[in-house]
Amino acid sequence: MITFATISFLGLPLLAILLLNVVSKKTGGAISISVGYVVAIIQMIAAVVCMALLWMHGKDFIEFSLFWDMNATLGAAKLSVDLFSLVVLFCIGMVSLASLLTAKKTIGEKTLNYTNLLMVIMLGMNGIAVVTDLFSLYVFLEITGIASFVLIALLNDKRGLEGAFKYLVMSAIASALILGSFALIFTQTGSLVYGDVAKALADWRNAQYAPLLIVGFVMFIAGFSIKAGIAPFHGWLPDAYQSAPASVSVLLGGIVTKMAGVYALIRVLNSVFVAMPMINNTLLILGLISIVFGAVAACGQKDFKRILAYSSISQIGYIILGVASGSLLGFVGAMLHFFNHATFKTTLFVNSAAVEMQTGTTDIDQLGGLQARMPVTAVSSILAFLSMAGIPPLAGFWSKLLIIIAVWQSVSAVGGGIALAASIFTAAYFLILQRKVFFGPLEDHLTEVTEAKGTISLAAVLLSIVTVAFGVLFPVILNFLHLQGIL
Amino acid sequence: MQQFFIVLCLVLMVVAGGAAVMLRSMLKSTISLGVASALLAAVLFLLGAFWAAIFELSVCSGLITVVFVSAVSLTNSDRKDEEHVKEHRARVAALPAILIFAGASLLFILFSHDFNIVISSTPASFAAFKEALWSLRQSDILGQIIAILAGTFAVIVLFKERDNI
Amino acid sequence: MNIVSAIILTAALLMIIAGMFCLVRTYNLIRIIIAIEIAMKAITLLLVFAGAVNGNMALSQTFVITMIVIEVIVAVVAAGIAISLYHKNGNVDIRELTNLKG
Repeated sequence: MITFATISFLGLPLLAILLLNVVSKKTGGAISISVGYVVAIIQMIAAVVCMALLWMHGKDFIEFSLFWDMNATLGAAKLSVDLFSLVVLFCIGMVSLASLLTAKKTIGEKTLNYTNLLMVIMLGMNGIAVVTDLFSLYVFLEITGIASFVLIALLNDKRGLEGAFKYLVMSAIASALILGSFALIFTQTGSLVYGDVAKALADWRNAQYAPLLIVGFVMFIAGFSIKAGIAPFHGWLPDAYQSAPASVSVLLGGIVTKMAGVYALIRVLNSVFVAMPMINNTLLILGLISIVFGAVAACGQKDFKRILAYSSISQIGYIILGVASGSLLGFVGAMLHFFNHATFKTTLFVNSAAVEMQTGTTDIDQLGGLQARMPVTAVSSILAFLSMAGIPPLAGFWSKLLIIIAVWQSVSAVGGGIALAASIFTAAYFLILQRKVFFGPLEDHLTEVTEAKGTISLAAVLLSIVTVAFGVLFPVILNFLHLQGIL
Repeated sequence: MQQFFIVLCLVLMVVAGGAAVMLRSMLKSTISLGVASALLAAVLFLLGAFWAAIFELSVCSGLITVVFVSAVSLTNSDRKDEEHVKEHRARVAALPAILIFAGASLLFILFSHDFNIVISSTPASFAAFKEALWSLRQSDILGQIIAILAGTFAVIVLFKERDNI
Repeated sequence: MNIVSAIILTAALLMIIAGMFCLVRTYNLIRIIIAIEIAMKAITLLLVFAGAVNGNMALSQTFVITMIVIEVIVAVVAAGIAISLYHKNGNVDIRELTNLKG
């Protein structure tokens, strides 16, 4: 049972790729989206099963291998899942499902290519979640990157190709910085397995090659800041989100940047660079800049997807802030905000896809009064935005609260205060967007618009239910945290 | 003697890398990158990384050069009109000065501090290499397979179905 | 300071600088990809250097081999996107890429 569940994270998408490409191209195209549904749903179930098994056996993590058993080999790059990776594996399944539901209506002829690449990007992200070795982390980061460039350029239109090329260049710089930093760290440690590196770096100030390590840390932070789109390194992110096809924007905004940048960063901070105040403080400042900059910049945008992209920069700042606070409470808050952000940002991108499909544009100046014509989209986007702005009792409020408390307690009241104040800007761009797109008088050319039927509305409804239910049930989690002595 | 060759190859590699930036003809620039790659392979060989050197020589200096030469000829980007040439020359003219300055400062910093890095330079035996690749790095092999799949789909999307729309 | 180590580190830094300089100063899409490749040469050198210093040459070579495979794929994808852009725009000038603004 446990072997099956863990192996499915990497084995199942591979199997799906094999299945889709051995059958004829026509059949492959016809069944591809359904196969994708199955893979995404099984991944969500497997993640929940693994969580239950972890809890039942009282273990912290499960180690597993794919081709041949590696537990006997010393210094091997093993695969392992713990609670945090299971939460993100669940998110990957959920966002992939939402992306597939959106793609069913919007992708047109390209279903086979889209599903193949979606499986590859899922493999890449699942790999990031389960590896325990810095070099393997780099390998899967690159796989995720390659698949996302091609997905952005999937329709071969001018804008998509342009966004893909910009993303590729920034991502290549980030990869060079990240791998360079790993090489410098490897000079000192002689191994890149998380545990070994953490041990070797425990007393890094007195290490033989300490100057190389300092250069390595700087390159590491810069590289991951680019990958995560943290503010001053965010240049590529709005372009990539805006230019991608609707269903790919859902995927990118919902999970890809968060896996490639934020999750990988958190994982390395927690298991490798344990207790390094220098790195934490840098990230704290970057997180605060990101929160404020993203929120302010979002207020000045004219495109639905671009507003969402800048709001991602701001929300990712909160996740980074929670982790950089260095306390367990901050980490839990970051993990929960990761999940919440995956839910509400995916909802909003699904909504933008619905608006784009029905009206043909995402320019907010050309939209208006869609509330009456597209009620499901309007309501789900309001719920998602309320959650993002931190209005109780929706899920976003609780995770933001935990992060701000953590920062307030363990770092400084000023940081917590800035983070709190920036929430007001979230409400501001939310109001701008809602007023221009959904409220107000209906624009003349939009009188024929109808609600997006079928799977897109289904995705929006399902995700809204998750947002609301998670928020309402949150006191249970708070109680659990209290019992554990974290809160 | 071996040390002298390592230093020589490194200096030539930086020169070739700089030339790849400076040269105004795209084709020459591409070939210059291939030369830099080949010189890097020589350095790797002299450092004792035999298998990595073979890969660097055949794949990076061979295959990637072919990819770039085809890209240059397919995009016809080897424009030689006078204005363009002048512009490129003006924009990259500062590179040699920057490189010399940066190199001199780093060497000065490295030698003026009490900081020593010694190269042990023991080439790995084939058995150790095989052990490392196949027993320790299962996730990397899986990663390579997935990366190649990603590359295949990329080629299908970008080349095969481009003209259909 | 060992002279060979110093020269290797300097060469790596210079290759990274050359790559980044080219990246910000050129307008040609293909030359941007070449710039990335130049920087990756430095990373390859650093990885093997790391193996030579800590004596774990076997491991560092497996890293380099995997990295080369990925480097090639990234180069092919980048070249593919550049060629497609050429087909759309008729040139490979990055100043033509102005469809995305905000």
